[in-house]
Amino acid sequence: MSQADDHNEDDLVLAGEYALHLMDADDRRAFDDRLTREPALRDLVRDWDEGFVSLAAQIAPVAPPRHLKSAIQKRLFDTPTPAGAPRRGWFLSGLFGALTAAVLALVMVVVLPETRLAPTGPTYIAEVAAEDGSLLVQARFDPASNALQIDRVTGNALPGRVLELWLIADGASAPVSLGVLPDGAAGIVPVPAELVAALAGGTLAISDEPPGGSPTGQPTGAVLAVGAVTAL
Amino acid sequence: MTTTSEIEQMISRIGLGDQSAFSALYDATSAKLFGVCIRILNNRAEAEDALQDAFVRIWQKASSYAANGYSPMTWLITLTRNLAIDKLRARKAPTEDIDDVLDLSDSGPTPEQALVAASETAQITSCLDELDADRAHAVRGAYLEGETYQDLADHHGVPLNTMRTWLRRSLIKLKECLSR
Repeated sequence: MSQADDHNEDDLVLAGEYALHLMDADDRRAFDDRLTREPALRDLVRDWDEGFVSLAAQIAPVAPPRHLKSAIQKRLFDTPTPAGAPRRGWFLSGLFGALTAAVLALVMVVVLPETRLAPTGPTYIAEVAAEDGSLLVQARFDPASNALQIDRVTGNALPGRVLELWLIADGASAPVSLGVLPDGAAGIVPVPAELVAALAGGTLAISDEPPGGSPTGQPTGAVLAVGAVTAL
Repeated sequence: MTTTSEIEQMISRIGLGDQSAFSALYDATSAKLFGVCIRILNNRAEAEDALQDAFVRIWQKASSYAANGYSPMTWLITLTRNLAIDKLRARKAPTEDIDDVLDLSDSGPTPEQALVAASETAQITSCLDELDADRAHAVRGAYLEGETYQDLADHHGVPLNTMRTWLRRSLIKLKECLSR
């Protein structure tokens, strides 16, 4: 057996000990450090985890006490800025309850139409990108036509599905649909006049939806890509 | 029944901060994950703490889930089991007999249980069967009870170093079997 094989066998065993949680605290920490740097080692651990997990099939499920779910939700969501929440924790957070902010944003637009909807308003751009790079759409708002020029650089809708574009106003937690993206790589998406002001400081997002777009007015499929709107 | 792809989609949406997906994932998987916590910790109060920690971690880590290549239930169970074992290591000596705890459970099959059973082949079981019985028992003890090398050596009445050697050789054999 070559030295390389010996080395691989060592790592194989270490990864197995790690997966079983047999290492003492110091060794486990040192191995954690290696895992952050060595993708091949992460793969070894994952293979062990996938191998061992069927042993857990024999563990009977036990319903946790009812109060536990609300305790967890309270711990995560009941503070204005949850310490542990993902960066976009606010996004989609209020599918049912938090339309209020969006409504407020719309009311502001209606109340202040002259200043917000000046025909020579600013040009906005956004790069709406998936975290893994699988979808990238560039959007440019033309104030003369009140429309977004869409350029789909990377990625497609899934077969039999469409991509739907959403606008989340600054401070709102519920998105507003701007419509289904055109099939072609480039196209135009008109922006309703009352939503133009919400572009400033807003966020664009793209979700996976059934043909014709979301039937509910809120994203129903996975949110695939997100990007902040900036003024030029 | 909740399918693997539905669970995967819930995790993706949680990664985007979707609280309703978090609620749905909790409903679909918490009984299984609580079972794992109880099995490892052998103590309901500690298991409740561990389950809370697990779901907080799931919320925090969901956005990186897609990149790690894990199947969804493996990711959830592994994350939960690791947190439960961390808690186990932080104290010593179980406070209740496991049979007393499990008596409280509904042991009938649930969708979660069926999901795991259906999505995983029992390859590990047949591979463990190829090992000597006491060595297979040691691997199960490590995985299912969170036992340390010292626990395993004590239970099997062998020196610590002997147990290490057993386990490491067993891992090499298991890997050969699992890669077939």
